[in-house]
Amino acid sequence: MQQYKCIKKEEWDKVLEQLLVSHTIFASTDSEFGIDYELVTPAVISRIIYNKPKPATPLKSFYLPVRENVTSEAGGAKPRIILGIPNCDVEGLSLLDEIYLDKEFYDVYYKKRRDETLMISSDCFGIQEHCHCLSYGIKPFSTGNADLAVIKLEGMMIFRILSGKGEDFISKIQGILPLTDKELINIIDKEHNSTEALLKEKNKGLPDYKKTGTLVTEAKKEIWEKYSATCVSCGACTTICPTCTCFLLIDKPGFEKVKQLDACQYPGFERVAGGEDALFELHTRFRNRYMCKYAWKPEKFSSIACTGCGRCIEACIGKINKNELFMELI
Amino acid sequence: MKSKNIYKPIKAKLTEVIDESPPIKTFVLIPEEEFAFKTGQFIELSVDGIGEAPFTPSSSPHVTDKLEVTVMKTGYVTEIMHKLNPGVFMGIRGPYGRGYPVETFFGKEVLILGGGCGLAPIRSLLYALEHIKDHLEKVILCYGSKTPTDCVYKPLFNRLNNTDKFEAYRTVDKPDEEWSESVGVVTSLLNKIKVNIANSVAVVCGPPIMMKFGTIRLLEMGYKEDLIYLSMEKNMSCGLGKCGHCMMGEYFVCKDGPVFTYNELKNTPDIWK
Repeated sequence: MQQYKCIKKEEWDKVLEQLLVSHTIFASTDSEFGIDYELVTPAVISRIIYNKPKPATPLKSFYLPVRENVTSEAGGAKPRIILGIPNCDVEGLSLLDEIYLDKEFYDVYYKKRRDETLMISSDCFGIQEHCHCLSYGIKPFSTGNADLAVIKLEGMMIFRILSGKGEDFISKIQGILPLTDKELINIIDKEHNSTEALLKEKNKGLPDYKKTGTLVTEAKKEIWEKYSATCVSCGACTTICPTCTCFLLIDKPGFEKVKQLDACQYPGFERVAGGEDALFELHTRFRNRYMCKYAWKPEKFSSIACTGCGRCIEACIGKINKNELFMELI
Repeated sequence: MKSKNIYKPIKAKLTEVIDESPPIKTFVLIPEEEFAFKTGQFIELSVDGIGEAPFTPSSSPHVTDKLEVTVMKTGYVTEIMHKLNPGVFMGIRGPYGRGYPVETFFGKEVLILGGGCGLAPIRSLLYALEHIKDHLEKVILCYGSKTPTDCVYKPLFNRLNNTDKFEAYRTVDKPDEEWSESVGVVTSLLNKIKVNIANSVAVVCGPPIMMKFGTIRLLEMGYKEDLIYLSMEKNMSCGLGKCGHCMMGEYFVCKDGPVFTYNELKNTPDIWK
C-alpha cells in the first residue's frame, strides 16, 4: 500500500506563502484563459487548483526556454517548485532527460534547471476531451519520476513521496503527518480507478504505444496526404508537445550561440546548403513527426516519445486529430 | 560527465586560405586549445556572428597543431567564409560523430570512390591510410569531378601515384583540350581497376546522386553491404544528437554517423536525398 503524508489545506497554503521567500513557485491555476501554470504570489495561492487536468503549457517549457543564450554563464536563480504537474508531462520529461543529460554531451543549462527544481505532480481526477495517457501505458497519476504527488481531498493536502528530494522537502514541513484515515485512502484509490475507467472508455480501440511504430511505418503515402491536407506547417503541435525538443543554434557576435526551439514541421528544417531537402513536401514533413515519435525515438531511447496528453489535437488549427489517424491505420 | 559547455566553440586562427577550384577553398586553422580528431569525424566551423556549418576536416588526423577544412561555396555561411582573409579567428566545436574505422582495414584493400568536394574527408582518410600503409594491401582512389577545373587537390594525385601501395584515378564529365585522363562518371573508373573484392572494403563520399549510383555499382561488383562505408551529409546544427535536424530514420547522423555502413542505412528511406 502507498505511504501518504498529509496536512490541512489552510496549513499548506501557509507553507506555500513561507516558501515564496526562498523559492520561485509555479502552480496550475484556472482563469478565463483556461488551466495553465502561473507564477505564484501570495494572492495566487487561493486560486491554485489540484487534481484537475491539465495546464495548457507543457512542462518542458520550464526546462527548455523558447530562446536562450547557451554560451553565457548559467545564472544562479532561486530554487523552483512546480506544482500541479500532470503525470503525462512528468513522463515526457524522462525523454528530455535522456537527451539533455546524455553522459557524453550534457547540457549544463538543462541540468541546472533540473537540479534546482522540485516537481510536485498532481493526480488527475477526471480527464479532458483528448487525454489518452493510459493507452500509451501512462497512469493518470505519478508513480515515479516526479518528487512528490499531491491530492486535495476533504480539506486535506495528501502527498505521495516519489523521490529522496521529495522526502527531504516533506520532512521539513512542520505539522505534516502520516495519513492514517483509511477512508481517504479508499477514496484516492476509487478516484484513480474511475479516472482510468474514463480513459479506457474514451479511447476504446486506440492502438497501444508498442503498435503505433509498425502502424506509422507501414502507413501509405495517401494517409499522410489525407491527414496533412489542412496542415499549415505552423508547428503548434511540436511547440505544445511535452517531448518535442528540436532546436536550432543561432550565431551572435563574440562566438555566442543562441539556442532556439525549432520544429520539423517548419519548411526547410532539413534543407542542406546544397538545396537538398528530404522533408520538402508537406506530407513528408507531417509524416516525419509521427515516425519520430512512434518509430524512431522508441528505437533510440527507453522513454516514451508520446505521452498521450492530447495537446497536439487541441492546438491544431487544421483540426488534425492524430487519434483519428491511428484509428484509420488499425 | 564532462563539465564543459557543449555549445561553446573554441577559437582557431585562420592562417592560410588555399584556392582548390573556383568554388572550393581550403582553410588552414590553428586552434587556440588542444584539438584532435579521428579521420571521418566532423566539426562545426563558425564565422563569428554569422553562422556555423558542419565540415569534415581534410587534413591528417596525425597532425594536431593545425587543421585544414575544405569548403565549397554553396550557401550563406560558406559564401562569407570564402571572403575571409588570414588573421581572423573562426570557431570550432567538436570533433563529433563516428569516423572511418581504419583499424578494421588492416590486411585489406581499400577502394575509395570520391566525387566533387567529397574528396575533402577522403583526403584526410588517405593521410590516415598512408600512416598505416604497412598494414594495408592496397589503396585505390577513384575520383570524379565535373570539369578539370573542378578537380581539387591536384598535387595529391601525383603524390599518391608515387606512393607504394596507392593508386589514384581521375575522371571528368566534361574534359578540356588538355585533359588526358578518363572521361565519364566516377563509376566508369571501376572498370579499369583491379581489386580483390573478397578482401576489400569500399568508401564512398560525394554528392548524393554519386553516392547512390556508386553504392549500387559496388553492390553489383559483389561488395558486402557491411563493408561499404558511406559518409552522409545532413543539416547538422548541434552535432550533439539533440537538435533533431540530422535525424535519418532512428539515427542522428551527427552522433551515430556521419560514417555509416550501407548495411546500417539500407532500410532507411530517402537516404540519398
